[in-house]
Amino acid sequence: MRRRVGTTGLDVPADDVTVLALLRLAEESAGRAFLDELLDREQGLLAGTIILVNGDNVRGGDGLRTRVRAGDKVDLFSPAGGG
Amino acid sequence: MNGWTGKIVKVDLGRGTQEDVPVSDAARRRYLGGRGLGVRLYADLCPVLTDPLAEENALLFMTGPLTGTLMTSGRTQVISRSPLTGTICDSSSGGSFGAALKGAGIDGLVVQGRAPKPVYLRIHEGGVEVRDAAAFWGLDTQQTQKGLQEEAGGKASVACIGPAGENRVPFAAIMNDKDRAAGRGGLGAVMGAKNLKAVAASGSRPVDIADPAGYKDLASRVDRAVDKNPVTGKSLQVLGTSVLVNIINAHGMYPTENFRRGVFNDAEGTSGEKIAETLLLRQSSCFKCPIGCGRTTRTKDKHGEGPEYETVWAFGANLGISDLAAIAEANYACNELGLDTITMGGTLGCAMELAEAGAWPGGPRWGEAGKLADWVTETAHRRGMGAELALGSKRLAAKYGRPELAMQVKGMEIPAYDPRGAQGMALSYATSNRGGCHMRAYLVAPEVLGHPVFLDRFSTAGKAELVALFQDVSAVVDSAVLCRFLQFAVGISTFAEMLRVVTGLDFGDEELMSVGRRVYTLERLFNNRAGFGRADDTLPPRFFNEEFQTGSSRHRRVRLEEMLDDYYAVRGWDRDGRPRPHTLAELGL
Repeated sequence: MRRRVGTTGLDVPADDVTVLALLRLAEESAGRAFLDELLDREQGLLAGTIILVNGDNVRGGDGLRTRVRAGDKVDLFSPAGGG
Repeated sequence: MNGWTGKIVKVDLGRGTQEDVPVSDAARRRYLGGRGLGVRLYADLCPVLTDPLAEENALLFMTGPLTGTLMTSGRTQVISRSPLTGTICDSSSGGSFGAALKGAGIDGLVVQGRAPKPVYLRIHEGGVEVRDAAAFWGLDTQQTQKGLQEEAGGKASVACIGPAGENRVPFAAIMNDKDRAAGRGGLGAVMGAKNLKAVAASGSRPVDIADPAGYKDLASRVDRAVDKNPVTGKSLQVLGTSVLVNIINAHGMYPTENFRRGVFNDAEGTSGEKIAETLLLRQSSCFKCPIGCGRTTRTKDKHGEGPEYETVWAFGANLGISDLAAIAEANYACNELGLDTITMGGTLGCAMELAEAGAWPGGPRWGEAGKLADWVTETAHRRGMGAELALGSKRLAAKYGRPELAMQVKGMEIPAYDPRGAQGMALSYATSNRGGCHMRAYLVAPEVLGHPVFLDRFSTAGKAELVALFQDVSAVVDSAVLCRFLQFAVGISTFAEMLRVVTGLDFGDEELMSVGRRVYTLERLFNNRAGFGRADDTLPPRFFNEEFQTGSSRHRRVRLEEMLDDYYAVRGWDRDGRPRPHTLAELGL
């Protein structure tokens, strides 16, 4: 995904938005499309996508509707595995 | 016979004899091959308390009914009693050695006795020959493989030990196809104790397939499933297993400095992404494998395979080291000398904490990247500091009076996932039949990675059932002998279908799961009789008593007591972790 985004991190000006809205803002900010690494065609989370807000997986809460605030750290990982 | 060849050969290196090992159709159905049949045969051949390094101990190289057929079917399972732990131990290796054994016409090789001087076994379609290995004894695993392949006209697959196995280091590995390793549990030392340097196999006997049309159709469907799956079809190909470094670190459970912390400040610098940028030459694959998780890499002066995720961690965060080239070169050294990287790194982490605590003043210090490869070399040769490191962490920590500083279960070092970050992994480690192992039940998949579903990693609810289920499925895959990474893309029903089209035997999901349960329970029975029980189904005190103060797994402790009794109940074992008579009867044990 990094190769698609072109960077390892982005600062996205936003406050009190959903994770989904933040992702769209991040894509605009990067100037490159990458959301298909994380979302399916219905704009839901791809199986195995990991999104952490301040270290907590959004799947344990409100998913893409989880709200994020200014200063929050959001980690994005496309599906991965190993041993 | 479809799938199997029907032939297992037993070689006694002391007596100089060979014989066929009879296996009934019923036994093949109940144990399949690989790990399952290997553990069954071992238990039938050797008393439980057989000294792993004694000549009467048996060492088995096993294939399964699917070996040499579908994708990822080149693997081998090596089985014996571990000199590191004293438990029953199977160790899985990739590459193509298993397919070479099958091509030579055998389902498995059993080795007992001790040769009077170093030998190797040459296996081909004409049989098994015992040959003099004097010219190879003392050579590293790469030199040995090259030499034996040249002798075989470039056609053999070679499994061998290096100096570590020759010196009976209790975590010596058996290496094959350059850098594939049967690493965990020290079965390389068992091989060295037999004066057996190598096994070279070749042959082109095809595997008989029961339903060729069904096989072709299934192979295509599995190929598509693997390709479509984002883990097997993309992530592992592009970044290899070290893709996990940043992920596990972000979850605050990347064990740092002997599991004292869960976040490593320079995870990024030792990640799969960094390997791709700085060391990677190309990806590499095992026999018939489209996943291609292997990494062929180079540093300024050396090259080789890896490092994999576990090794990047073992020589990196676990030791406070962020020099990726030094980590890679220590990895290459382990492969050349034949040492398990997880135990090597786990022992070094323990040693560094012992030194810092003043318990072992002469021990190694955190972060000394420049000395890593030397420590590995010294360990393989049991000299200098390596003479101590060769004990493994449990014996080392006990020697220096601080047993609690060894991060091990049943004597085998815990791998690269801190269990305070995933309660299911805590139970998985504690109840693993071969000690600190992440592969018996890889609960990281649902608890962290979200495969096949996402589970709350801090909850203990339902984890007992899930650990038992994952252990059983893994035992099936290890007994059919395919790569566990297929489990990201296909489920138990597909494995049943694979067995049906290849062998002609119709396993329903239930029957196949009972094969896995039988294998797991047999291993447990063996361990019980070897003296292991509830007291050993635990973790080092650190995980119960210490909490991280930072990171997203902070303020957590392992809550094993909430899961262990449930796990025993699910398994049909008593409160001491012993299979109940009705459980044994149900499984025909």
